Amino acid sequence: MAGIVAIWQRDVLKFFRDRARLVGSFAMPFMFLILFGSGMSGAMKAMMGGTGASGPLRDFDFVEFMFPGIVGMAVFTTSIFSALSVVQDKEFGYMREILVSPISRMSIAIGKVLGGSTVAVFQGLLMMIFVPFIGLEINLSIILRLIPVMFLVAFVISSIGLLIASTLKTSQAFQMVIQILIFPMLFLSGAFFPLSGMPAWMNVLVKINPLTYAVDMFKKIILQADQMTPALKEAMGLNLSVFNHTITFTEEVLFMVAAGLIFIILATVSFSRTEAT
Amino acid sequence: MDPIIEVKGLKKDFKQFEAVKEVDFSVEQGEIFGFLGPNGAGKSTTINMLSTMLKPTGGEARINGFDIVKSRNDVRNSIGIIFQETTLDDKLTANENLMLHCKFYGVDPSIREERIREVLHIVDLADKRKQIVETFSGGMKRRLEIARGLLHYPKVLFLDEPTVGLDPQTRSHIWEYILKLKEKAGITIFLTTHYMDEAEICDRIAVMDHGELIALDTPYELKNKVGGDVVEISTSDNEAAQAKIEQNYERNVKNKDNRLTFHVTKGDEFLVQFVREFEVPLHSVNLRRPTLNDVFLHLTGREIREETASQKEIMKRNMKMSMRKGRR
Ligand SMILES: Nc1ncnc2c1ncn2[C@@H]1O[C@H](COP(=O)(O)OP(=O)(O)OP(=O)(O)O)[C@@H](O)[C@H]1O
Ligand SMILES: [Mg+2]
Repeated sequence: MAGIVAIWQRDVLKFFRDRARLVGSFAMPFMFLILFGSGMSGAMKAMMGGTGASGPLRDFDFVEFMFPGIVGMAVFTTSIFSALSVVQDKEFGYMREILVSPISRMSIAIGKVLGGSTVAVFQGLLMMIFVPFIGLEINLSIILRLIPVMFLVAFVISSIGLLIASTLKTSQAFQMVIQILIFPMLFLSGAFFPLSGMPAWMNVLVKINPLTYAVDMFKKIILQADQMTPALKEAMGLNLSVFNHTITFTEEVLFMVAAGLIFIILATVSFSRTEAT
Repeated sequence: MDPIIEVKGLKKDFKQFEAVKEVDFSVEQGEIFGFLGPNGAGKSTTINMLSTMLKPTGGEARINGFDIVKSRNDVRNSIGIIFQETTLDDKLTANENLMLHCKFYGVDPSIREERIREVLHIVDLADKRKQIVETFSGGMKRRLEIARGLLHYPKVLFLDEPTVGLDPQTRSHIWEYILKLKEKAGITIFLTTHYMDEAEICDRIAVMDHGELIALDTPYELKNKVGGDVVEISTSDNEAAQAKIEQNYERNVKNKDNRLTFHVTKGDEFLVQFVREFEVPLHSVNLRRPTLNDVFLHLTGREIREETASQKEIMKRNMKMSMRKGRR
């Protein structure tokens, strides 16, 4: 237990000490919000039925739509990149200090994943700075519901990151694999545009992408889906369904918990196999 | 008392390549035990197996009574290790590095402060405690690693080339610290080095080559096997001098690079006599203790350095040697 805490603490401490990384991981979502959000909201609105749209879609606001996706993106990129620390520890030798100590491999893996998750939740919360500029209303109760969901998502993604990191030896290799993974996962998650009218094969990818459910959960909480009209919900892409069954929030949580368990086990097993040489 | 380290038929293959070939040895509690050998001999591979970082291909070993494969955790709890390459976290302070180590090894929170102070004192880094490790010199980093390895009071401390890449002063400092450790409560030290002069402080030395132990003895005995001290002379007529020495002193003399080299026991006494009575005019006389090179040459018939040493290391060795001469 003390071992898990120590591993976790080190990664969190190092994150906050690394100014460049703090700023860097903030810059990407910020740019997306400005470029996509403001730049494309006109075009999007036109697509959704013209700027003069009346009726239920009058309330559709692309920037609002984007925002939960941006939060998802911040949480996603931070947690998947957090596993870079594992590869760097191998490169700089510190991993041997950890591996030769009596801490169990499982504690190390869990500590690493928790470290990544903590940092990612922090990044996600930092995105709330944008809330007033977007014209969203977010209260404390929303934030309090958001934190555990962010943590759950971050845990799943950090575990995936660790799984990848445990098989690689260099930062370059890790960064390349992550870059390849990051864009399809982000774009096929509904973070940046409603996922409707997609070809069937792409739809399959969307439905097995854990990020899809993450973004959907963020949307439901941040946009307060329970207070929306059905038509607006549809336009916001909030009626996510698998095999014609509209997924509920609880099911999404369960799905993420299951994914988290599977990936942390896979990551731990894979990590335990790394023989430091 | 049972030996603290017991090794039987330990071997490691990397695919076809036999890095360590069924070595046997044991180390007594409180001993300073040295592993000596050229680059690629298999020293680090052996240490890595003993410290549970590498799975042996065959054989077995026990440390502090624990099997290195079956009881990894007990072994890990019993040892401290300074790897050949540094394993500090550069971005953290010395204190943070040490604090983390305490947590990894479950050092009781109430005694952490005291322990950290104690080990920093041993390596003279008490005033650098709050500094980021990145700003440390190579020698300071090495000392900090030694301090860290001691934090949890290991039964055995492994040091894989603790002084490689350091300047001569720093090197001798590091050895002072290691000797200080020996005087302190019976910690067993297992170290590897390239340098015979450094191996001097060991109680026993195992010489390793191509994955095999080719000798295991006290430094004194090893050097005796070489045939004592090394005398190097140059004269006005090396040919004549060589014949004279071989005849009068029954020594095996090598003539290389305008220099005659031969071995004698009790070199200092011999030299006084020799200079007084030798008939061929002498240009220079040099007496030195045998080096690893000499021991190695004696054991294998080849120079330890010719196939392995980088130019930089040879330079360092020469520097060190002239330092030692200067001190006499
Ligand atoms: N992971 C590995 N895979 C393949 N070969 C290896 C591996 N590790 C070591 N070797 C080989 O095993 C041999 C012994 O290496 P080792 O590091 O034990 O030597 P060493 O005695 O510590 O040398 P040095 O003085 O250079 O540190 C070398 O030939 C090396 O190339
Ligand atoms: Mg080595």
